[in-house]
Amino acid sequence: MKRYDCMKALAARLKGELVILSLGASVDEWYNAAPHMREASLFQQQLGCVTPEAFGLAVGLPHRRIVSLDTDGGMMFNLGILATLGNEQPKNLFIVVWDNEMYQSIGGPPTHTAFGRVDIAAIARGAGIENAFTALTIEEFDEHCAKGLAAEVPYVVVAKVSGTVQPDIKRKHSDGREDKYIFVRHVEASEGITIMGPSEHN
Amino acid sequence: MKPSAVDAVIRGLKKAGVSIVCYLPDSLFKPLYPALDADPDIRTIRVTNEGEGAAICGGVFLSGKRAALVMENSGLRASVEPLARMGLGAGIPVVMLMSYRGEMGENNWWAIPHGITMEPVLNALRIPYRVVREEDEIERAITDAYDWSYASYYHSAVALGGSVVR
Repeated sequence: MKRYDCMKALAARLKGELVILSLGASVDEWYNAAPHMREASLFQQQLGCVTPEAFGLAVGLPHRRIVSLDTDGGMMFNLGILATLGNEQPKNLFIVVWDNEMYQSIGGPPTHTAFGRVDIAAIARGAGIENAFTALTIEEFDEHCAKGLAAEVPYVVVAKVSGTVQPDIKRKHSDGREDKYIFVRHVEASEGITIMGPSEHN
Repeated sequence: MKPSAVDAVIRGLKKAGVSIVCYLPDSLFKPLYPALDADPDIRTIRVTNEGEGAAICGGVFLSGKRAALVMENSGLRASVEPLARMGLGAGIPVVMLMSYRGEMGENNWWAIPHGITMEPVLNALRIPYRVVREEDEIERAITDAYDWSYASYYHSAVALGGSVVR
């Protein structure tokens, strides 16, 4: 199963949601797979921060569906967030973990999930997230997207994807600061709020 | 920590517009946590480590609401990685309220590293901070931290020490 194909399937289901995503090659893939979600996606390079940030956003905007696009390396970096979500039970947070069993962006050394013992979905269930699943096919993944985007409890799908990167895609060349402004301005416009407002004396 | 100091902290947080607090409890702030939990205007989130709390606070910032990360100053070390990535990389601010473990007068060996590392770590991350040892300065220190962080879009910190917490 290719991550890019999964992204295309997920992107087709998204409209008014907000997305926070992890680092590495998945950034450029999402940039290409979901052009209509460009402003609604926070492109960062923050190992271990992605799902916690998505949860914070979900707490702040409880009426809005938030999607976390995390990775096996990123989730393993900070497993504690699963326990926090297990206790907090946010109603509007859908978490995808791209599990390619490797640290892809540095050339592919294996993560802990590569040896057949570590199961992130099982860890999530053990942490109190009842709806945590592993998807091996695009059909399974797409079905979990439909359920996860409609769930009233936290929902995790671990997508077992190959280590390939979609060839011939455009590179995103903005940095995290520019991407934050694009995202914040989108949240402001779509929510009718001010997050980064004017100074007292402009 | 006296009840009046707890009240001053909550007053300061509310004046700064804070509605969400992430915390990992410590002993010096012991009375603060149940008071935060009981406050109807504040949503508390208990976290497994302070770095996770920092990242959640970053996400809250992106929603337009205001969060605080409340912790012992040892939690600052646990928070360095997400603070550096969010603050230096993107300008996503986190305001921290810490108990000052390990300052002069500390009589626990295990708390000494917290005092020795707190200010150098804050300085290494270029995070401005104020150490507050007088109760009547708490409220202003908290609102000043939010004013600064929402002008700079960078982290700031208030450390409560001295007789405020002992």
